[in-house]
Amino acid sequence: MHPLLRWLHRWKPWIGPEGRWRALWPVYEATETFLFTPEEVTSGPPYIRDRLDIKRYMITVLYALVPCILFGIYNAGYQYHRALGDAAPLWRVWWDGLRFVVPIIVTSYAVGGFWEVLFAMVRKHEINEGFLITGILFPLTLPPTIPLWQVAVGISFGVVIGKEIFGGVGYNVLNPALTARAFLYFAYPAQISGDSVWAVLPATGTVDGFTSATALAVARATPVGTDALQHLAQAGHTLRSMAVGLEPGSLGETSVIAVAIGMAILLLTGVGSARIILGGLLGLLTTGAAVNLLAKASPALANAHPAWSVPFYYQLVMGGAFFGIVFMATDPVSAAATNEGKWIYGFLIGFLTVLVRAFNPAYPEGNMLAILFMNVMAPLIDYVVIQAHIRSRRRYLEGFAHG
Amino acid sequence: MTRTNIPDRIELRRGLDVPLAAAPKAELDEVAEVGLVAVQPLEAPGVKPRLLVKVGESVLRGSPVVYDKARPELKFCSPSSGTVRGVELGPRRALLRILIEPDGRDRALVLEPMSERLLQRAMAEQIIERLSSTGMWALLRERPFSKIPNPSVRPKAVFVNAMNTAPFQADAMVVAQAYPEEFRAGLWALRRLTDGPVFVCVPDRAGGVFPCPDDPTFHVVRFAGPHPAGNTSVHIHHLAPIRPGEVVWTARAVDLPLIGAVLIRGEYPAKRIVALGGPGVREGAARHYRIRLGSPIAGLTQGRVGAGELRIIAGDALSGTAISADAYLPMTCSSVTVLFEDRERHLLAWANPFTRGFSWSRTFLSAWRSPRPEAMGTNRHGAVRAMIVTGLYDRFLPMNIRLDFLIRAVLAQDWEEAIALGLLELDPEDVALAAYACPSKIDLVGIVRDGLARLAAEGV
Repeated sequence: MHPLLRWLHRWKPWIGPEGRWRALWPVYEATETFLFTPEEVTSGPPYIRDRLDIKRYMITVLYALVPCILFGIYNAGYQYHRALGDAAPLWRVWWDGLRFVVPIIVTSYAVGGFWEVLFAMVRKHEINEGFLITGILFPLTLPPTIPLWQVAVGISFGVVIGKEIFGGVGYNVLNPALTARAFLYFAYPAQISGDSVWAVLPATGTVDGFTSATALAVARATPVGTDALQHLAQAGHTLRSMAVGLEPGSLGETSVIAVAIGMAILLLTGVGSARIILGGLLGLLTTGAAVNLLAKASPALANAHPAWSVPFYYQLVMGGAFFGIVFMATDPVSAAATNEGKWIYGFLIGFLTVLVRAFNPAYPEGNMLAILFMNVMAPLIDYVVIQAHIRSRRRYLEGFAHG
Repeated sequence: MTRTNIPDRIELRRGLDVPLAAAPKAELDEVAEVGLVAVQPLEAPGVKPRLLVKVGESVLRGSPVVYDKARPELKFCSPSSGTVRGVELGPRRALLRILIEPDGRDRALVLEPMSERLLQRAMAEQIIERLSSTGMWALLRERPFSKIPNPSVRPKAVFVNAMNTAPFQADAMVVAQAYPEEFRAGLWALRRLTDGPVFVCVPDRAGGVFPCPDDPTFHVVRFAGPHPAGNTSVHIHHLAPIRPGEVVWTARAVDLPLIGAVLIRGEYPAKRIVALGGPGVREGAARHYRIRLGSPIAGLTQGRVGAGELRIIAGDALSGTAISADAYLPMTCSSVTVLFEDRERHLLAWANPFTRGFSWSRTFLSAWRSPRPEAMGTNRHGAVRAMIVTGLYDRFLPMNIRLDFLIRAVLAQDWEEAIALGLLELDPEDVALAAYACPSKIDLVGIVRDGLARLAAEGV
């Protein structure tokens, strides 16, 4: 037996079902099964089981998020020094990035983890590894300037209202990380409205403050009658800069390249649904193209809404849509469950995202609300698909003449 | 779409051949006889056994020792001549097993043999009477529900399963070669039980060489593809799916020599062929064995399995039944799979993508190379969780069924929905592969088994 395991087992008499500290059993169980694969053997058929379990499934998502996390850290430091206007050495950029980002991630995991453990203890179920993902996805949707107390409030809302009151992972209707993000958006719009993102302010106050707008907000704010692309370029948003991601924005979502690496990992391992991701990208790009056509067809409309003329592929690089489609929409619990339903669900997320971006006067980024709305609609999509499936089954049975 | 042509080959893509090590070789060996033999009538689903003999009474091979209270014509017979040594009762005083000590002379009760020519024109009632009075009727099944067939109805078709895609089942070709005449007689007997077609479902490789009588009323259909291409539910689904009110009867090709023997030999068969395989089996011992019906499993395993804590499974590793080392061979058991109990714990294995060893999932780098036979154990490889991943189960069942939603309907006890989604087309064994693959380690087999039992009890 592994020495560490032997050490863990020494605690069992106190924490086990008879022990004085039995309320802590979920914590012990989670620690033990986190460190060591469980010893349980099969009790009924099938007597052999595959090596894949939910832990590995979730950790693969975390691996896919690593490029986004690393880039988010670097970008936070980069934006900080851009705000200061100094030319800091690379280690300094990384260091400052870590200084801003790590507390946010730690707060998210610590506060969210507290609720997770509390519910596990009260409801006497295991601690679910799904939180591993929620706890990192949520900070990645936040700007680096977010006050830590808001991170704590947001993740609490996401874990408790978004997930635990439904019974935990597997029973929730909405994506918990996005629920947390949406809560912050509606409760504290000043810090997180999506119009403009505050880069981190230097503590010493060498500059008064520095605000920079996200590309989506800039495109929307293009004065009537002028060219939105030029307006974007003037603000420093080029296709290239947005694809690379050295842009102000939420931590994990600015770099198309980092998200694309994550997408590749999710698709190659089969953990992310290709149907949802491709459906989402298809919806985003075709709806973006349709908006372009609308602008082309009517010069008056194009004049009044310069943002409509932004080429459709900009939809992919601006804002958090790509990140949302790859990492949020693919949450299997809140997504549609049928194969056809996944295409529809993904497509409509892309479609609604562009719809909100182009036609909603209040809010430039529509991806978060599009995904949450489709989370709610997913069971309806599945219902329609399943009814069609039942009809096709009936036709299949009736099609057999012999016998 | 109306189908009138019966295909002679069906290719299926969904499924998985689990690369379990030590598959039984297509060779046949004898097993030495040890100890008592047992008649275990409770193995037959739905039977309420009543005793016909007393302890101390001597019996012949083929002497009925038990009958079914619900259908007294159905009897279960002694597989050896000898003396009744004991009766073991189970819960609620049900007859668990009748133990018989063989006298070594193996005298058989002689019934009137039927020639193969006669059999080809026999009345269904004659065959049913003979199979019932010898207990061989309990080898057949009626779908839906996999019950012992009700002899007063005529099935719309009979399905004979000659495949062995699950790890591990006996090879029907080995059995057919060992008992060629009985095998053919068994097929003819099934032929007389229906006015509809008899589908003989064989592995792709057996096309053309499968020993089926050359008669147009037999339809030999080759099924190609990974497990569960060899499952009877899959065959029925693709050849003659059951519509409301219809029944089909099913048989396993490996049981045909037993059925044939009581008809053309006129006596109860002494032995059957059982395949022995699995990582717990010693090197070179994984093959087919001829073993007396109802004899101790130890006679088969002794000296042929490895040392250590073992899991002995009557049937295949996916859908069989675990039995103890001192159990007796169940009548329907045609294969024994032996696994090692695997309680080994690995540090942080879930986070390591380089883990060696097989997985169907590409989250393991090992899934990118072609699988090699592996000594899989009984470890569950993870904790039980809620259903999280969707659309996964359907990749392991080549039928027009959405398993996620079917399982949820059964769990919600929404029987109307479950039937519309295809519950009656399934047998618990059909979801065993999906359960093998399930990352949430959900007991799909148990859910389907209980759902079908509830439905059968309530009557549809």
